[in-house]
Amino acid sequence: MSRRKQGTEDESLAAQLGHWLTAVEASSVAILPEAGNELLQTIVEAAARLFGAAAASIALLDESQEKLVFRVATGAGASEVIGLAVSVGQGIAGYVVATGQPMAVSSVQEDPRFARDTARKTGYVPKSILAMPLLYDDRPLGVIEVLDKIDAPSFGMQDMELLGIFARQAAVAIRAATFQRNLRHALLAGLQNLAQSDNSIRFDGLEQVMTEGQDPQGTEQILAVARTLSSLYKLGDAEREACLKVLEAFAVLADSRPRPGR
Amino acid sequence: MSGESRPAWSQQFAAAALRQLKSTGPLGGIDAAWAWGGSTGRGVKVAIVDSGVEADHPAVGGQWRGGVIVNYDGRTRSRVRVEEDCERVDLYGHGTACAGIIHSLAPEAELYSVRVLGRDLTGRAFQFAGGLRWAIDNDMQVINLSLSTGREEYFGLFHELADDAYFKNCLLVSAANNVPGASYPSLYSSVLSVAAHEGKDPYTFYYNPSPPVEFGAPGIDVPVAWQNGSTIVTTGNSFAAPHIAGIVTLIRSKHPELTPFQIKTVLFATSANAHRT
Repeated sequence: MSRRKQGTEDESLAAQLGHWLTAVEASSVAILPEAGNELLQTIVEAAARLFGAAAASIALLDESQEKLVFRVATGAGASEVIGLAVSVGQGIAGYVVATGQPMAVSSVQEDPRFARDTARKTGYVPKSILAMPLLYDDRPLGVIEVLDKIDAPSFGMQDMELLGIFARQAAVAIRAATFQRNLRHALLAGLQNLAQSDNSIRFDGLEQVMTEGQDPQGTEQILAVARTLSSLYKLGDAEREACLKVLEAFAVLADSRPRPGR
Repeated sequence: MSGESRPAWSQQFAAAALRQLKSTGPLGGIDAAWAWGGSTGRGVKVAIVDSGVEADHPAVGGQWRGGVIVNYDGRTRSRVRVEEDCERVDLYGHGTACAGIIHSLAPEAELYSVRVLGRDLTGRAFQFAGGLRWAIDNDMQVINLSLSTGREEYFGLFHELADDAYFKNCLLVSAANNVPGASYPSLYSSVLSVAAHEGKDPYTFYYNPSPPVEFGAPGIDVPVAWQNGSTIVTTGNSFAAPHIAGIVTLIRSKHPELTPFQIKTVLFATSANAHRT
């Protein structure tokens, strides 16, 4: 491929990626963290044990960024709280997500709205609560709550500080799982388009991956993948099919193996 | 600034870690009686930049004097739209908690609500900055900021606002983040940065000679006003900041001639771990 042609294609690709990034930035598209429930469940169980709490739960922001949906829980009231959606615009969990600040409350029942709504929906009203935002690069993903400290009337500042460190790890794990899933989707979508022998190359889903722009190494890798894909469409049908099979096999293999978080 | 290696801000005010200081020379002559004795906060405008203030909450004592709601609006240059707060409610309860603490210390202070928190998570840093800008431009003498941002890209934006406030004789009282790490504007030298200590006496506060967090005030298991006329018991640096804001309001009311750095000096001299010699 001539240098000029390569340059033109790079520019085109860069423009396309730039367009996606701009579109995502402009619309502030919410990326629903899609970490597996198994990972989240492990996190809440560890949190409950670590902080001596009777219960713990994680709620994640939905796509609209307007609701927090409880995805996993452990301990008292766990089965009732899963699936419960609360508005970001109210309550302790809403406050924590809106401000990015944790909050500890030791007399939850005195907040009448909280007590009434929660009791009606879950049958369980905690006496003490520590709610910590799950932040990735200071952007909210959701909230982790530990409820009813078993050997003390309330959660203290030390609990708050420790849960902050714990939540940071949890947020990285959730984000890494989301990134891996989005990358896999993007690769498969790109390859499917390629297989259709269409001259117009599209990489649906890449924009989602590109919102992970905080990671320069990851961005470089994605650009390299995109460049490779863009050069493949000039091959014959048989070669393209072969490439597709190799990459799909790799994706299946990658999917079946446990991977450490980044 | 990297937060990972820093201790949690409130640990500096734990009994075992607290450093005993000397208030020497003429500073030794400054005490609480001189600084705020007899003051009620009368004539001082205090803004609470937060989730709103419930105007008719008993803890606010009818001192709600006005308010605005700052919404994100990407079409404007400042990215925000400021409108009068006709609702006079608090979306969460947090702003009312801060207002209630300030009112309990400075019962005649004029309270203004600047609502910057809400269900729209898109532009919260711009809302926060826009609210702070409104408070500075509208001659608030004390601004309580029990919120912060940890994002480096807003360092400059908030630094400029903090400097502007300082030069306009406006005191920013800023809660340190509850978890270790950067939080703006609480880490700037021109603001009064506050973390929680375990004490309960609202007039007892400590000075930390190893900033950036300079003051410790009650914020652990404190009863505060909350949404819908209620009260809760809660913990956080958020509730320490309004204790200092309340004291500062008393000082400003009694000594309107004092500038921000002079008030910081008065607070040092009247802190419980500064001993007169």
